[in-house]
Amino acid sequence: MSEDPIAAAQADGRTTLTEAEAKSLLAGAGIETPAFSVAADADAAVAAAEEIGLPVVVKVSSPSVTHKSEWAEGAGVAVGLDSADAVREAAAEIFDAADARGIDADVLVEEARDVDAGTEVIVGGLRDPSFGPVVLTGLGGIFTEVYEDTSHRIAPIDAAEAREAIEELTAIELLEGYRGREPADVDALAEVVAAVGDLVNEHEAISEVDVNPVLATEEGAVALDALVVLGGE
Amino acid sequence: MNLQRLFRPERIAVVGASATEGKLGYEAMANAVEFDGEVYPVNPSGEGEVFGEPFVESVTDIEETVDLALLAVPAHVVPDVVEECGEAGVGGAVIYAGGFAEAGGEGEELQEAVVAAADEHDVALLGPNTSGFVAPASNLLASFAGGVERLRPGGVTILAQSGGVAHQLAFSAHREGRGIATMVGLGNRANVGFEEAIPYFDSDPNTDAIVLHVEGTDDGRALLEACRESDTPVIAYKVGQADVGDFAESHTGALTGDHALYTSGFAQYGVPTVESTTELFDAGQALANSPEPDGANVGVVTAQAGPGIIIADRLQRAGATLPDLAEDTQDRVGEILPGITYAENPVDTGRPMPEFGDVVEAVAEDDNVDAVLVYELFEEALGFPQETLDGLAERVDKPVLFATEGPAESMADDLAALREADVPVFTSPERGADAAAVLARYATLDDAAADEEVSADV
Repeated sequence: MSEDPIAAAQADGRTTLTEAEAKSLLAGAGIETPAFSVAADADAAVAAAEEIGLPVVVKVSSPSVTHKSEWAEGAGVAVGLDSADAVREAAAEIFDAADARGIDADVLVEEARDVDAGTEVIVGGLRDPSFGPVVLTGLGGIFTEVYEDTSHRIAPIDAAEAREAIEELTAIELLEGYRGREPADVDALAEVVAAVGDLVNEHEAISEVDVNPVLATEEGAVALDALVVLGGE
Repeated sequence: MNLQRLFRPERIAVVGASATEGKLGYEAMANAVEFDGEVYPVNPSGEGEVFGEPFVESVTDIEETVDLALLAVPAHVVPDVVEECGEAGVGGAVIYAGGFAEAGGEGEELQEAVVAAADEHDVALLGPNTSGFVAPASNLLASFAGGVERLRPGGVTILAQSGGVAHQLAFSAHREGRGIATMVGLGNRANVGFEEAIPYFDSDPNTDAIVLHVEGTDDGRALLEACRESDTPVIAYKVGQADVGDFAESHTGALTGDHALYTSGFAQYGVPTVESTTELFDAGQALANSPEPDGANVGVVTAQAGPGIIIADRLQRAGATLPDLAEDTQDRVGEILPGITYAENPVDTGRPMPEFGDVVEAVAEDDNVDAVLVYELFEEALGFPQETLDGLAERVDKPVLFATEGPAESMADDLAALREADVPVFTSPERGADAAAVLARYATLDDAAADEEVSADV
């Protein structure tokens, strides 16, 4: 995907980027993402999985699907696929479900990451009507809405300020290691927070960036899922 | 926009002045005539005089140039009156009437018409929908509220979004024997908002600290930037924590309440925030009358253990630190008070005593300490350590705050003497601790904001 993902979405008249487009945007901003490829049929999905290396995750990729895991009774996201057959089956299920709903869809085939090997964090950016570009970070995954453990900054910020924002979280204790788990690379996470702030600051077309989760491990911070919303003018 | 003629006029006009007691135009005039400069009552149907000043038909009829017009007229005529003021070369106007943008619909259109007229003639507007402002040092009572003539001059400027809150803060300050530099109710902020008023009062020689009451503004970032640009210390009270704004579909929007952005933004831009009007004014008082602290290390001296423990607890919970005293300070304290109960920090003398001031001085001179908080119950036979406290903060170049309690009648003169010497005085251990904690936060936030500016220049 060599073209500018924001321009591509705008050319289609879309206000949301596909996950692949969002991840290209993040990768371009220096944020680590799992290796991925977009496939238009089940054979291509299998080829992509072999290229990336098993196990992989297969997800629906369509401008009409924003919440992939809730889509088509859970068919939208299949994790831990460790054989060509499993990839083919998951991809076929997505294409069938898309046909049944009358939408155009591809599948995103992505290198699997072990979420238990780290802490899930949310990093978000948005363009606030009063404050302009802002960035937030917080405990991610299923706990985001339960604990609302978040901290905010007016963007742009440098990595030191981003690190301070992370250290304000109650979840910092999880990130610093608990029960013998290795501490996460908080500096790498801070780079992600700063980079998301920069993205919103630099691209006026972006109204919201939602990177949830970012997996923070001892080796770094990787964006496992991402949503980018453009201003609906 | 130059706010000098609005806030520091030489001549003022009261448009809609009335000789009928109880009318807004009468109350506004009654306050305005206290002003040290010239005051003109304007009313086309006015006859004779009001408060000894002859009525003028229109501001355009006044031979001298009027700087400030106080508009005690109904909302619907305000656009024409502002237009007339502009033609007469008036530099600033206070619009008391409500029924503008805050009322929606036609009110918004009315406000747009007022702003258009004002912008065309470069008139700075306070309001609409405000009770005005007061600057006691020049007896400038541009408020229609009763009792503002009693407010005394001081170093704190109050910039409140609500005129009601501005007056509340000013009167509670007065009740405690404190003065104010200027008290401003911004109201609807038609063309003078926080981002215009903060730089003006930053350059005002009478203002040593600025306290903000904020409900919400259209341009939060401009407010934050004005705060960061200000050399005068700024403290903010952001109201409205419960309102989390519109819930958005996705996580990021849902997690970003307006209040969270204000409080994070203020901290990021070097402005400590507080949670009550009392805390706001106490902190403003402490900052206005103190050298700026270098850090968050507070030395506490108490004559009673219980209040000292409350102070130590509250300070630490609010982010201040209680450093160990240097060894030579501990030796000095030990010599003054052999067999002292607790000579580290807090220093507890156990009871008030003639040498209490010497202990305060020893702690204030300790290099480990960035600010000092003293607590002592008033004892008639001893009084306060007035001689020590007078000028101590300037000499050691760090804040020295004093908290106390006692029978109001018996300590009144001694309290007044401390305030006269610009010692920030508080009447409970919590209020003293909260004010010291804001100073500590101001020192650490100020550092962070300064660092940010440096890195932005690279």
